[in-house]
Amino acid sequence: MNFSKVKYGLVLLTAMSSSTFADVDFSGFASINAGKVLSGTGVPHYGVEPSFLADYPIVSAYYEEWSFKPESLFGLQASADLSDGLSVTAQIVARGANEWKAEFEWAYVTYEINENWTVQAGKKRLPLFYYSDFYDVGYAYTWMRPPADNYTWQIFNYNGLNLLYSTEIGDWSLNTNIYAGTEDDNDNKLLGDYFFGGVETREIWKDILGGVVNLSKDWFEVRLTAMQYTNERYIDGERTYWGDEDHRDGKFYGAAFNFDFDNWFILTELSRLDLDDTFDTSMITFGYRINDFTPFLAYSQFEQDSDDGENHNTQSAGLRWDFHPSAAFKVQYDKVEDNSYNLAVAGDSDSITFGIDLVF
Amino acid sequence: MKNLKKLIIASIALISLNTFAEVSVIVNTSNANSVDQSVIKKIFLGKSKTFPDGNKIIVYTLKDSNADAVDFRQNALKKSNSQYKSYWAKLAFTGKGTPPKEADDNEMINAIKNNPNAIGFINSSKVTADVKVIATF
Repeated sequence: MNFSKVKYGLVLLTAMSSSTFADVDFSGFASINAGKVLSGTGVPHYGVEPSFLADYPIVSAYYEEWSFKPESLFGLQASADLSDGLSVTAQIVARGANEWKAEFEWAYVTYEINENWTVQAGKKRLPLFYYSDFYDVGYAYTWMRPPADNYTWQIFNYNGLNLLYSTEIGDWSLNTNIYAGTEDDNDNKLLGDYFFGGVETREIWKDILGGVVNLSKDWFEVRLTAMQYTNERYIDGERTYWGDEDHRDGKFYGAAFNFDFDNWFILTELSRLDLDDTFDTSMITFGYRINDFTPFLAYSQFEQDSDDGENHNTQSAGLRWDFHPSAAFKVQYDKVEDNSYNLAVAGDSDSITFGIDLVF
Repeated sequence: MKNLKKLIIASIALISLNTFAEVSVIVNTSNANSVDQSVIKKIFLGKSKTFPDGNKIIVYTLKDSNADAVDFRQNALKKSNSQYKSYWAKLAFTGKGTPPKEADDNEMINAIKNNPNAIGFINSSKVTADVKVIATF
């Protein structure tokens, strides 16, 4: 009797220790970027000096002095496989734009139900755009950054559930997911710093429900997405009303088409947000690979469908050089046109940015 | 005559060097699954996660610094090293996949020998009787 109790205890101990010592895998990515505005108008009537807003959501802005801070970042991912399909993952990112304060950007549990189905719960990126999920991983794409005019929305994470389904149909891969959740950002940087003049803005997106369908084969990929949410906002602690309503509903639609042949590729993406107004974005990129060098040209735009609505576009030319198996050097020239008066963001600008992206 | 001999030996050495640049995809000797080249590609890109017999696949790759890894990625997966690394960075940092585990030549043979569900690759000259070759590139 006693013996079997001891045995049971031992089994339990062994089980505990094996889970305590689950292997934790560390991996990471980093970008060390620098840049400056060569010339720019700024937005004199809002007191904005000549600047290039390279990343809207986290407000990475370059000015007329060289700076390393706006887009440099360091990310560390830890994941532990708890066996039987269960794993946990956390990603901590420290950004120069955020005074190098390390923050959890992702923290989620994954359960692989079977070969095709996976469910995840926790904090994740809001997958509005093709590049949203891996926006921080500069090594994984060609430009210095996904086109700033497109990746403008102030909320980029959500807390909730994500159900993924993937399968292979002949040469085609089908990857789909449905997600639901909320995000409550107590001090939204883009709205607070740029749109409401330095006043603390709490931005809430709730009842988020979205889906993504991605179909790809060797040389072609299409990604379609739709998402809806309910917006609530507090500016300086005071609740925002839209007419008589204390909330408003948004609907987002996106489509991306990528073509990749031997040496050349075309990347495109379109999106629309129906909120009070309609906001449209689009971009196109041409690239050509010559061994370790990839020169590219890109155009992107943002257009709010109203009189003197927010309206800006960017023409870019750049080069990626894969000088090392785990690192790439990039340099990019961007020419921004900001066409709105009342909803001017950062004015016109010409700027140069360069840097190194690594994965490890 | 002596010189000719030398030349012949040198040519043979060169030819065999070329042969040895070949990479073999290896599995456990007990693994009876039939896996063709298109399935191998899917396995190393994380698109197929189980063998036809239903067992979950454990995938190993040689390290980036190994020239055989670069050859395999180019010949079997049709991706340059940076395309391969970008592909996996995109999946690994977005919760959509786990990249193959890294191993050096010795670790590779041991890992495959000790796990019936493991798959990996190694320079064909380093294949031993402890593992089974299912394809070469």
